[in-house]
Amino acid sequence: MLRKADTSATWAAIISLVLFFIGGILTTVVPPLVDTTWAKPFENADPAKGPTGKLTPLNELQLQGRQIYIREGCWYCHTQQTRTLLADTKRSGWKGVDSPVSTPDEFVYDDPHLFGTKRTGPDLSRVGGKYDEQWHRTHFRNPRDLVPGSIMPPYPWLVEDAAEFKAIVAYMQTLGRAKDWRPDNDYEE
Amino acid sequence: MQEQISRAEIAGGAAPSGALVHEDTTAKWFLVSSVAYFFIVGIVAVVIAAKFVWPELMSTIPAMGYGRLRPLHVNGMLFGWLLAADMALTYYLIPRLCGVRLWSETLGKATAILWNAIILGAVVSLLMGWNQGLEYAELPLPLDVAVVVAWIMYGFNLFMTISQRRYPAMYVSIWYVMGTILWTAFVYLTGNFAVLFTTGVNQANLNWMYVHNAVGLIFTPVGLALAYYFIPKASNTPLYSHKLSMIGFWSLAFVYVWTGAHHMLHGPISQWLQTIAIAFSVMLLIPVWAAVYNFFATMKGQWHQLRDNVPLKFLMSGVVFYLLTCFQGPMHSLRAVNAIVSKTDWIPGHAHMAVLGAFSFFAIAGAYYMVPRVWGKQLYSDSLANWSYWMWMIGGIGFFVTLWLGGFWQGWQWNNPAIPFIDTVVALEPVWLVRFFSGILMFAGILFFSYNILATVLGEKPKPTAA
Ligand code: HEC
Repeated sequence: MLRKADTSATWAAIISLVLFFIGGILTTVVPPLVDTTWAKPFENADPAKGPTGKLTPLNELQLQGRQIYIREGCWYCHTQQTRTLLADTKRSGWKGVDSPVSTPDEFVYDDPHLFGTKRTGPDLSRVGGKYDEQWHRTHFRNPRDLVPGSIMPPYPWLVEDAAEFKAIVAYMQTLGRAKDWRPDNDYEE
Repeated sequence: MQEQISRAEIAGGAAPSGALVHEDTTAKWFLVSSVAYFFIVGIVAVVIAAKFVWPELMSTIPAMGYGRLRPLHVNGMLFGWLLAADMALTYYLIPRLCGVRLWSETLGKATAILWNAIILGAVVSLLMGWNQGLEYAELPLPLDVAVVVAWIMYGFNLFMTISQRRYPAMYVSIWYVMGTILWTAFVYLTGNFAVLFTTGVNQANLNWMYVHNAVGLIFTPVGLALAYYFIPKASNTPLYSHKLSMIGFWSLAFVYVWTGAHHMLHGPISQWLQTIAIAFSVMLLIPVWAAVYNFFATMKGQWHQLRDNVPLKFLMSGVVFYLLTCFQGPMHSLRAVNAIVSKTDWIPGHAHMAVLGAFSFFAIAGAYYMVPRVWGKQLYSDSLANWSYWMWMIGGIGFFVTLWLGGFWQGWQWNNPAIPFIDTVVALEPVWLVRFFSGILMFAGILFFSYNILATVLGEKPKPTAA
């Protein structure tokens, strides 16, 4: 068969596509059928089974904030996944409490997904509730005023536009809150 | 294989009078525009490298923000420069390997115009922040549709050329180009259209299938098509083994597509899918080593030619970078290594070695080889070409190595949660400074290369022997 592909363009084309489709289908179409947790929104009322809580879709304001997050390319510098690594759960953790790891059911409504590939800045998967509005205002105006040595770019136009600022902060506060894991709800000073 | 390459020689090079004359207009248009984008996007590249050192540089203008320029850099280099250059070179080599003219120059020219319109649309939309939020698939939907149309026009033209070929046996470059056309179509549809019907982890899985295979099943096979053509041509030596090139091709066709989920190792995606991705990532060593062995064996006894054959220098350095990148890739997929290097600055070091060090080097070699032949002129300056090589080599190695070392160190620090995150940022400052200066050298490579190509095209140095 492969010999035939040597002289027949049609054969070569067919075999290349068949070989490609075996892996293509088994790794893209099949997994969501096998692993149903990918599509089932997180919900748990039983503390014995881990953190309780419920994933709800974002409201309009939060979605608008998410759109700004995409437009400004925040996702090129920030990931949104607490991986199954001890260090990740500690870094995403808060006031000495380790964060739960991210699971597929927390991202069911994410479109587009924002898991990210690069951590120039810290992971943001559990940043909701970590800082208050004032902190974000100062930080967006110039990150170095709060965190000397930061290389996050300033976003003065986000602070100046009251509606955009409200939206992006509203979105930030939703991150990682489907699972109720924070010891209490006040912000870090 | 001797026989085939010498047939290719007749079709391509010093043809006897009365033989086939290639028009090559499509190849010329694609090549010139790709070189122009290489230069323009090269400036963007230097700016974003500078932003790591001076984060407030131009930061009051939304369109000049890091988050807008980075996708412009990535899309511009991948689609404006590299893919367009690859298309130019395949429009050049496929007719020669088939012993016929390109099926339709008119269709080819229309494709070139459409492609340029797409790239200009991409520049505007990315600067405006019209971003779909998916890596490598940032462009708005109308542009995605235009890309599909352009790809069909390109693929149809080359398939028609291949179907009318005069030599029944197909040289390995032809398979690779056919594979590229077909796989790219489906990979692109997955990454830009299928994703629209999914959300969350399911979407991420499709997105990584696309991202990974944009390199693995687009730039790899077309890059290898160039290497398989230009290494024997530039060194005037027949390819070592046809059989080995078959092993490489069929294993690539089967193995690559399984590996997308290795972008989510330790992340919120099924463990068994991660394990499959790891297993197949390690298997990638088979197609890579088959191709690399073939190239090295072809060069046996010919290495002295590297001294003053600039295209060959680029080609063989590209092969070495290809070998290294594709050794890194499978190693990153191992869970223990991934826990350190994933998400760090190591990754851009790896990605640049693949896209610049390996695949762009193949395309640059092809351009230096093709331009004098299709324009029928002598290269403007051999010594400038040599300088471009050394700028890229020194800048490139400086870039890759500092990012690996820096990225590894960064990952090591992240794994110790006692170190505050900001300390790991400050620690990388020297790395980003060296990266910036390496970037300047790489940009000098682009400058010398594009000037040389431009001066050849516009210049009046006729070729001493007939083309
Ligand atoms: C060039 C990369 C870069 C970009 C782009 C970027 N950031 Fe950051 N970000 C950082 C770095 C580095 C830090 C860590 C230092 C600091 O807190 O400023 C950070 C920190 C943060 C923090 C604090 C996280 C914590 O747990 O302390 C938040 C929140 C944040 N960024 C949000 C954003 C948003 C929203 C955007 C887009 C509007 C954005 N970032 C764009 C690099 C970036």
